[in-house]
Amino acid sequence: MLQRRLKKHHVAIMLLHWFNASVWLGELVTGIALISSHFFRVAPGWYLSVIEGVFGPRANLLRVHVALGLLWIGIFLVYGIFGFRTYLSQEVLRKEIALDGDDVRWLVVRVGQILGRTREKLPPQGIYNAGQKLFAIMVYGTLPVIMLTGLVMVFHLFGTVAVGWAVVLHFAAVAAVVCGLIVHVYMGAVFPEEKPAFFSMITGTVNELYAYNHHFKWWQEVMAEEREWERRHDAAAGGRRAAPTAAEDGDSGSGAAAVSVP
Amino acid sequence: MARFAMVTDLRKCVGCQACTVACSAEWDVPTGYARTHVRPTQISGTFPNLVSSVYVAQCNHCDHPPCVEACPSGATFQSESGVVQVDKGVCIGCGFCVEACPYDARYINPATKKVDKCDFCMARVGRGAQPACVATCTAHAKYFGDLEDHSSDVFKMVFQGGAQGLQTRAVSVGPNVYYVGRKEHLDLIRASFPPRQPRLPVAGEAWTRVLKPLVLAAVGATFAGQAVAFFTQLRKGEQDFED
Repeated sequence: MLQRRLKKHHVAIMLLHWFNASVWLGELVTGIALISSHFFRVAPGWYLSVIEGVFGPRANLLRVHVALGLLWIGIFLVYGIFGFRTYLSQEVLRKEIALDGDDVRWLVVRVGQILGRTREKLPPQGIYNAGQKLFAIMVYGTLPVIMLTGLVMVFHLFGTVAVGWAVVLHFAAVAAVVCGLIVHVYMGAVFPEEKPAFFSMITGTVNELYAYNHHFKWWQEVMAEEREWERRHDAAAGGRRAAPTAAEDGDSGSGAAAVSVP
Repeated sequence: MARFAMVTDLRKCVGCQACTVACSAEWDVPTGYARTHVRPTQISGTFPNLVSSVYVAQCNHCDHPPCVEACPSGATFQSESGVVQVDKGVCIGCGFCVEACPYDARYINPATKKVDKCDFCMARVGRGAQPACVATCTAHAKYFGDLEDHSSDVFKMVFQGGAQGLQTRAVSVGPNVYYVGRKEHLDLIRASFPPRQPRLPVAGEAWTRVLKPLVLAAVGATFAGQAVAFFTQLRKGEQDFED
């Protein structure tokens, strides 16, 4: 099972992921440096000096921040409009992001495991586990807030009072995502069990054993699709072959080409 | 370095508004708004011994400017010479500083949507000129200079002549615009135009009182929790094959 690879992410989503990560890095670096007054400041004085050395006048900081932000909004709009059926349709959201009974139980058990209070095994998960789904739900909720409040500030939309609220909501929404990012980056890049997940964002695939252990319900769907594909192609070829047994499903066996998952 | 300040002699000012006009002309201040404020005070005393004065004010370039603290983008800053300025390239026009100023010295320009206020005519001072209001005052009632220059008029008026800034016990942010005059003049401007408490609009209050503590707590807790998980991971070590 370690040999065979299953396709988890397509190229467009991988590109968007790394584009998003780069933009977030740039925006956090410039954004945190922009917040310099006592009421709002979160960074120490030396950080502000360093950034000033890099960018020069503060107006440049804002220009870079706004330029990156507008580019970010633009790309997401393109993905959201042209890829609506792939990313935002109810069907996709229900399948990939909505929490089901297994997910809720997973959260309870996982917290118990972290606190060392349970030896229970985690319930089976779909293509994304409950923690990933929670992060996704939070991001889907906060990203429009960050984008809209950013636009209100840049173009002074809806008047001064609205701009004041936009400032505050922009900071709060970003902070919420940063909390999620601390966990997300840790899980992706530091936590050893999820190493295949990190590389899946670069290669697009995970090894079958990882899928079987961590995303069992998704593994089952992929296997069912594979069987369905083979059945259809057997019927088309006119020949009769023995249907694959349950035992064969899990074999690393033939090293067949990766099954594509929409 | 330098510490710029301004002094108005209330015995000479007649409230002619020439300073307001000169300032507005110099800085393209739109109609209905002003960087300076010239207003008559109440009248005190009993007839026939009546006294009134004129309140002449603009940004006080305070020692502890509440507007600088309130600005979320850092557009408002205080230079080395004590002059509080607005970097128009960074200002987003949120209005927090307008609410924060105890002297209501700031306004939002409806055309540029950015905050504008007196900056002691730094561009003119840089060329060796006096601020527009000082240069134009018909009664020669205004003085501008460096408080650290012991030969300057403002130094003598403030440290030897008893010139006072507009402060109360409740609001003392260290203004650097001073007034010279009879006691009745100073009492009148203090009574008629007292500085108000710095405040924030509702959004700013929501941030300071609720959101900022929440944000710091949430990010701190997440970071701490994740750090604990990381140390646990280091202790457990990694396994090559999963169970």
